Amino acid sequence: MIEKWIGLSKEEKERFILNFIKKLKEIDKEYNIFTQINDEVKFKENPPLILRYNNGKYEVNEEFIKGIAENMLYLLPVAVKDNICVKGLVATAGSLILKNYYPPFNATVIERLIKKGIFISGKTVMDEFGFGSFGVNTFKVAKNAIDKSRVAGGSSSGSAVYVKLTSFPSIAESTGGSISAPSCFNSVYGLTPTYGLVSRYGLIDYANSLDKIGVIASNIYDVAYLLSMIAGKDGKDSTCVGNRKDYVSNLNYFNEKNVREIKVAIPKEFFIGDEKILDKVKEAIEMLKKYVKVKEINFNYSKYALASYYIIATCEASTNLAKFSGLRYGEKGEVENKSFNEYFSEIRSKYFGEEAKRRILLGTFARSKGYRGKYYIKALKVRDLIVKEYKRIFSKFDFIITPTMPTLPPKLKEVKNMKPIDIYNIDKLTVPPNLAGVPMMNIPLDNFIGLHLISSYFEEEKLLQFSLFIDELWKSR
Amino acid sequence: MEVKIGLEVHCQLNTKSKLFCSCKNEIAEKANTNVCPICLGYPGSKPVVNKEAIKKAIIASIALNCKINETFAFSRKVYFYPDMSKNYQITQYEMPIAKEGFIDIGKKIRIRRIHIEEDPARIVHTGNIKSEKYILIDYNRSGIPLIEIVTEPDFCDVSEVKKFLRKLISLLTYLKVFDPKKNTIKADVNVSVNGGERVEIKNVTGIKNIEKAIAFEIIRQKRIVEMGKKVERETRKFDEDLSITYTLRKKEEEEDYGYIFDTDLPIFESLPFVNEVRKEMVLPEEKINFLIEKYKISKELAKSIVYSHLFDLFTYLSSKFSDYNLIARLLGNYLKKCLNYNKISLEESKVKREDLLTLLKLVKDKKLPERKLKEIMKFYPLKGNLSKFIKEERVNVDEAIDKVLKENEKVVEDYKKGKEEAINFLIGEVLKKVNYNANAKEIRKKIIRILNETK
Repeated sequence: MIEKWIGLSKEEKERFILNFIKKLKEIDKEYNIFTQINDEVKFKENPPLILRYNNGKYEVNEEFIKGIAENMLYLLPVAVKDNICVKGLVATAGSLILKNYYPPFNATVIERLIKKGIFISGKTVMDEFGFGSFGVNTFKVAKNAIDKSRVAGGSSSGSAVYVKLTSFPSIAESTGGSISAPSCFNSVYGLTPTYGLVSRYGLIDYANSLDKIGVIASNIYDVAYLLSMIAGKDGKDSTCVGNRKDYVSNLNYFNEKNVREIKVAIPKEFFIGDEKILDKVKEAIEMLKKYVKVKEINFNYSKYALASYYIIATCEASTNLAKFSGLRYGEKGEVENKSFNEYFSEIRSKYFGEEAKRRILLGTFARSKGYRGKYYIKALKVRDLIVKEYKRIFSKFDFIITPTMPTLPPKLKEVKNMKPIDIYNIDKLTVPPNLAGVPMMNIPLDNFIGLHLISSYFEEEKLLQFSLFIDELWKSR
Repeated sequence: MEVKIGLEVHCQLNTKSKLFCSCKNEIAEKANTNVCPICLGYPGSKPVVNKEAIKKAIIASIALNCKINETFAFSRKVYFYPDMSKNYQITQYEMPIAKEGFIDIGKKIRIRRIHIEEDPARIVHTGNIKSEKYILIDYNRSGIPLIEIVTEPDFCDVSEVKKFLRKLISLLTYLKVFDPKKNTIKADVNVSVNGGERVEIKNVTGIKNIEKAIAFEIIRQKRIVEMGKKVERETRKFDEDLSITYTLRKKEEEEDYGYIFDTDLPIFESLPFVNEVRKEMVLPEEKINFLIEKYKISKELAKSIVYSHLFDLFTYLSSKFSDYNLIARLLGNYLKKCLNYNKISLEESKVKREDLLTLLKLVKDKKLPERKLKEIMKFYPLKGNLSKFIKEERVNVDEAIDKVLKENEKVVEDYKKGKEEAINFLIGEVLKKVNYNANAKEIRKKIIRILNETK
């Protein structure tokens, strides 16, 4: 899409966007994609957004675009997951407690995008604070772009649906698989970068040691473009250590000759789930065997990854969500004749969804006196083992391939019959690499079915290159 | 009865900015003006550590003879309270910055650990705690850096605590880690009597209150034991108005803070900070001993000079002038008093080194009595412009005597009539005219001679 976009003139781009917003409203009604479409931007002192709604018409904000209209990405419409702060638009993070929250600052990734003239088309729906794999744990539930009766996947549900329906990219976020799952279920490309490559400043936290901002797009070039714009060191985020890089210019590096050196590991423990999915992924692996070295391996400790993840994630989440107590931002309540404890308890009980409450309770318990050593500290040690396991495998192999998800996206009406523990188990393939913080890409193979390509830390360039190779090979088979 | 006291002292650090954001660490006139999304705990904001705060914490740790840990990290202490912008405090739990130090107050008071943490916001009461309708919160204080110094229960009485706190404060003030003009000191105090249960008194502000709280608590506990009862393990608070401690919560209601690591912040290595700090840091004891040994001045004056940051000035003047004791009095006594009284530092004053050398020479040449030097040093450091204070170097005493005798004929008459005291008045007038740059005895002799001649 970006390649096409670059070819349009400034006027063509502007005309397109004004129509595009109308189209977005229609598909939003049908698929429940947005918490807010960027169509009613009121002019403020520092307008971060390009379009202005003035007297019933949309118009381009001339003062703001001076100097960036010439930019080739001017007005490219990128949707942003609603837990990433965009000044001027709402940031609900999928939660009723932030239903009317307008952040006073932009996330770093947003600053980097709007500097290039990117148009933030809207904020996309998500599971509350990231708590979910289907997109159902929130006040507006997205529908799968391929089959409206199915879940869109989560927690970046709206983002993946947007990409599938418009072919334009979206900035999303993953903690335990929230980019890979919806990308897989909507058959689009989703990149979860190495933890620490992209700044988290301005991301409403789920779990600080696990959250990563990434990209969902309709093709690998778009992923590479967007990653090049958002990745790299940020002084505002002490954990953001990666370097800025151009991921686009060398994207088609691999060819049938030089790819021969590549070694791919296939961990047995990850080949579980729906037969249809396993067949498709194995078919892709067979195809690759003609060009690269493929070897089956054992992935030690993989069965402990899910538990370790849920303990660490909920422990951190329970502290991150403590700040929502009806003061300074978010929903507030009646203050008369109440103690502080009564006041905030009421608000949190009223506005947090069931899954949010469940995870706060779990996380608070796992780090409480008498249990902290057994759960929280133990989970950290297990994570360390899994990190070491990935390092061990990547010392011998270039990539790991697994299916992205073990099941097809369930029907929306089936979900309420599923137990929380069964839903958590759906994450078992995406959680291990997310827990370790290694980068991964969902490559769509068929409707609802994706292949998960995983590489070592900070090897996004190689990951994107090999993804392109696999993708082109698969499409031309 | 045996008394055991332990302290957890919280000292605000004297840095330019807060601990995790660039908001100013200073006293503001209006509430909620030194604030930003980070110290207000806005969703999406992230802490970034203030390196100056780390360095000051390390300086304090070295001065308190602690071992600096190789690595340190931050943790979240979770509890819900209106003054908490995130409902967790970023502090240090498993990996503090330093451990195992001491302060010597005649006996060694051991320090278990020192860690860095952020201050919560300030609660402003709008009335009596029991009857006020609402409280106000000022986030200017939210995020100010603190060090918490935890001692072993090595204190046996209030006077030891007093000595400890005074020494701690003067040391930290000297090292510019703490500024008594803008930083506060608080403590949680643990007291037990006769090997009984430990009672914690939380959040006592200022040295005087800490001493009072301990004194009251010791008496309270002793009385309980004397009556044959047992002291309960609990948390208490100190009421500043009534000077008593009262129950806050019982043992069963102890807080469970659910500590986790704060993973918005990395694990830090202390070595780079320590190296930077050691280059700049010389402890006051070293400088004091140096002055005593090399210049043979008194310990009291040496301490005074070092703690008033006049050490460099002293060594400069001593390289140009050989009466070290005079210099010591000039700086450690006269100048220090003026700076203290007016609450300014040497840099803020108008003192010039060359002026001080001039004064020293005048005293040496007996052209300026030391008494007059002391007078001058009350005002000169504020005003500068030394020449106004000493007028002319060569003072014509004879001219002054002539003038005074002419202007005070009646007094001269009185003296001639036999009133001896009259001459004192005349001497005083002459001294005033010559700006005290003369010897009273000599003036007396001269006046007597002149008056005798004219009899």
